[in-house]
Amino acid sequence: MATVIAVVEDDRDQRENYVDVLTAHGYDVRAYADKPSAEAGFERELPDLALLDIMLGEDMDGGFDLCMELRKLSPTLPVIFLTARNSDADRISSQRMTAWDYITKPVSLEFLVARVHALLRISEQLQHRSPESSVFSVGDLELDENSMLVHWQGQPVSLTLTEFWIIESLTRNPGHVKSYEALSDVTRQGLVERNTINGYIRRIRNKFRELDSTFDRIQTVHGTGYKWERDRE
Amino acid sequence: MIGLKALRESTKRVDQKKRRAASGIRPGLKIRTKLLLLVVSLLAIPWMGYESVREMERFLLEGQEQALELTTQGISSLLGNRSDLFDPGVGVPEVIGRTSRPLPTEIEQSLSIDAAASGWVSAIGELTNFTGFGLFECGPEYQPDSLAVRHGVAIDTEQFFAYFEIDDDIIIFRDPDLVSLNNSDQLRMTVQASSGAVSRYLLTTTEPGRISIYLMKDNWREAISGDAVREVAGVLDLTDRGYVIKLRIPRNLLGVGARLKFEIVDVDDIGSRVVSRVISTEPDPSQLGIGRVRLATPELTKLIQPLYLSEANITIWDRGYRLRAQVGSIFPPAREGFDLDSEEFAWSFPNVESAITRFYEWILRSPARGFQDMPIDSSQEDYRLLGRVLTEGEPKSERRRYGDAKLIVTAAPIWAQGSIDGAVLIKQSGNKLLSLQYRTLQRFTLLFLGVFLFLSVAILVFSTRLTYRVGRLQRETEQAATPEGRLLKDQIRPGARSSDELGSLTRSISGLLHNLGQYTRYLEKLPDTLAHELHNPLNVVNSSLENLQYHHRELADDKHLQRARNGVGRLRSIITSLTEAASLKEALSREQDERFDLAALIDGCVEGYQAVNPKHRIVSTRVAGPMIIEGVPDRLAQMLDKLIDNAVQFGADQGLIVVSLRRNADGIELTVANDGATLPVEIVDRLFDPMVSRARDARKTHLGLGLYIVRLVAEFHNGTVVARNRAGDRGVEVVVSLPQARIAPR
Repeated sequence: MATVIAVVEDDRDQRENYVDVLTAHGYDVRAYADKPSAEAGFERELPDLALLDIMLGEDMDGGFDLCMELRKLSPTLPVIFLTARNSDADRISSQRMTAWDYITKPVSLEFLVARVHALLRISEQLQHRSPESSVFSVGDLELDENSMLVHWQGQPVSLTLTEFWIIESLTRNPGHVKSYEALSDVTRQGLVERNTINGYIRRIRNKFRELDSTFDRIQTVHGTGYKWERDRE
Repeated sequence: MIGLKALRESTKRVDQKKRRAASGIRPGLKIRTKLLLLVVSLLAIPWMGYESVREMERFLLEGQEQALELTTQGISSLLGNRSDLFDPGVGVPEVIGRTSRPLPTEIEQSLSIDAAASGWVSAIGELTNFTGFGLFECGPEYQPDSLAVRHGVAIDTEQFFAYFEIDDDIIIFRDPDLVSLNNSDQLRMTVQASSGAVSRYLLTTTEPGRISIYLMKDNWREAISGDAVREVAGVLDLTDRGYVIKLRIPRNLLGVGARLKFEIVDVDDIGSRVVSRVISTEPDPSQLGIGRVRLATPELTKLIQPLYLSEANITIWDRGYRLRAQVGSIFPPAREGFDLDSEEFAWSFPNVESAITRFYEWILRSPARGFQDMPIDSSQEDYRLLGRVLTEGEPKSERRRYGDAKLIVTAAPIWAQGSIDGAVLIKQSGNKLLSLQYRTLQRFTLLFLGVFLFLSVAILVFSTRLTYRVGRLQRETEQAATPEGRLLKDQIRPGARSSDELGSLTRSISGLLHNLGQYTRYLEKLPDTLAHELHNPLNVVNSSLENLQYHHRELADDKHLQRARNGVGRLRSIITSLTEAASLKEALSREQDERFDLAALIDGCVEGYQAVNPKHRIVSTRVAGPMIIEGVPDRLAQMLDKLIDNAVQFGADQGLIVVSLRRNADGIELTVANDGATLPVEIVDRLFDPMVSRARDARKTHLGLGLYIVRLVAEFHNGTVVARNRAGDRGVEVVVSLPQARIAPR
């Protein structure tokens, strides 16, 4: 049975393009133009992954509402938000939507497919709890590459896919500076401004500091990038 | 982009207008000065009052004159056809003297020549003091103590009595051994009979007691005959101040219409026996010769006595210019009436009183001065007027001024059977009116001063309040926006609740600011909205291009597809910078300060920039050691990014970019300087506003948001930023100044 992906996007052209590329990659795509039809669709059949535009027509937060609906139906269903505004991303983090990822438009379809792929794989891992987990730890940090689970001092840190990739990239070589260019590649979004990277790091730090107010592992190397501070002991 | 250009244009226009408006208040009169000048115009009120009082004075004087004319004519009618009263035989002679003085006192009981002086005084009544008046033949060295004369005259049916009190320090009696008679203290009497014949009598004595009387020649030295005159009797009594002379003259000696003149001659030096002074009862003998004959008609006097007028002198004259009767005086009985009514001030403002009095004296001429100017004798003018009345037969009136004194004179002829018997002349002082006027002006001045003071204070308070409110509105309005025209607040609270026009103006400006604020916010949000709207079609293009490429692998290297992708990339970077600037303000508000080393940050950044921009040489110069400040490092790095971007874009190729960090008295100064073209003058002021760029190259995307971000970050750190040409126009430097407070305490 093919993997079902729900695409909720009010712009017909964009919606069709997503459908085309996902279908071309062998996914079974259900496309919806607005919130009521999407809700009805989710009632009928729960997708394996949802791609949600936040603003649906006149409904500014239609995507958020749909995400909540889906969370009720399935706590582990991967959801990708598509946002036209940077500030939406901030809102996602502030509202603690348990989205797995968000991508700002314009979306690179190539990276979109890659993300969908990665999230589906992680979802699979979570559901089946395969014993062959590839957990590695740096100090107090535990990181499961397969299930995208991150623990800090034993407590789970809820990160989006991009944030997970950044942490993974930083902790792969603790103490080594990751340049903005390298981090930009890691986010798999195409062209990424330094400021966008700074934004990701800020949100990651905030998430860690909610668990540990003294968190200071991620160091800024001004003008260059960031590094994961090695444990001192 | 057309819209953006229009936006830039309109921003430019608004800026120019703002600069003009900010030029402030121009020199000239302020509201308060204007209002106070208006108060000064109130000074027209006292002028008006003064004028109206003057007008009133003229009116009253006219009324007084008319009343006086009526009285004159009444008296003339009363005396009309009474030729008996003007019969020359009726009259009694009068002592030559001041015309304004009463006629001889009529007494019932004859006076004894040997009676005590006090008896004479009580019978005669008030004595006339000649000291100072009618004084002749003595120089300015005259001393009243040395010689003073008081005299009085009385008549009964048969006799004429004259009484003299003479103050004399040295009394020289006649020396019987000397022939000449003019070398002792003596009394001279000149009698002019109605026929014109003149007789001179000299009264002298060698000792107190009976006086010898001689008829003299006109040189007063030799007697016509050695025999003394027996009809006239005189006695000299010594007193402690001098001596007293009592004189009795039979009326028939004088005859009808005779005229008398007395002269007191004083000799003070016993050795030389030279006449030192002469006091005469005749005011001006040089003018009148021996003077006119004056006849007093007692019945006439009795007739006009009840017609007494206040401060008026009524005189009746006959055809021969002889005074026949008079009553009243133009002088007021006392001067107390003209003192200021200042009792009401006296108890409350004792010090103010004298000042106010002086002020009145300065503003108004005191009527008291009018009496000082009033002449004692104005017979010259009287005769002139009488002459006109008696010859023309018409009533006449005139007003005279002697300095501040006003005199109203009216005269009317007295007719008897078609011919003129005589004339009535009434003189009345106009100074009673003057004092009335003075008092009116005084009250008016006080009232006006009060009103003027009150109005001045009221207007001053009002205008100060108004100026304060206008000033406050101006301050608030100016503070609502920066000199560059950026809105700092979108309403004005103080003074907006006032119900008057100024309150309304405040509300209007506040409303204007509010609308402007909304518009500004809309403009600020515009890039964000624009970006959002552009994102979706851009996403369509982008995803379509990717689909095209995916489905048609052979097109991967197609140059048109590549160009389309480049175009999308450029669009995307435009949108990204738009949203970056738009969201920065909001994002900054969530940032928190942290302590960090700004020097290290700059070093790190410069190193990174050099790696990315190989075409330029980027160096940093700074003070040694760390510079720990409090701020947001990411944002300051972002600011530096923009400064370097700017320097790279506008700097000369292969040029040097210097990032310098210094401490100065005011705080920290971060300068990024580049070689190359200088700043166009017209955009220097607005370089840090959004959408202002000096870029001219169409192929390069430059929205003019970079330096706007620099400004936002600098201002978030309470700093300022300016751009200027480097010394010698070698290029441009942008200076970011952060305040001292940003430097972290050690």
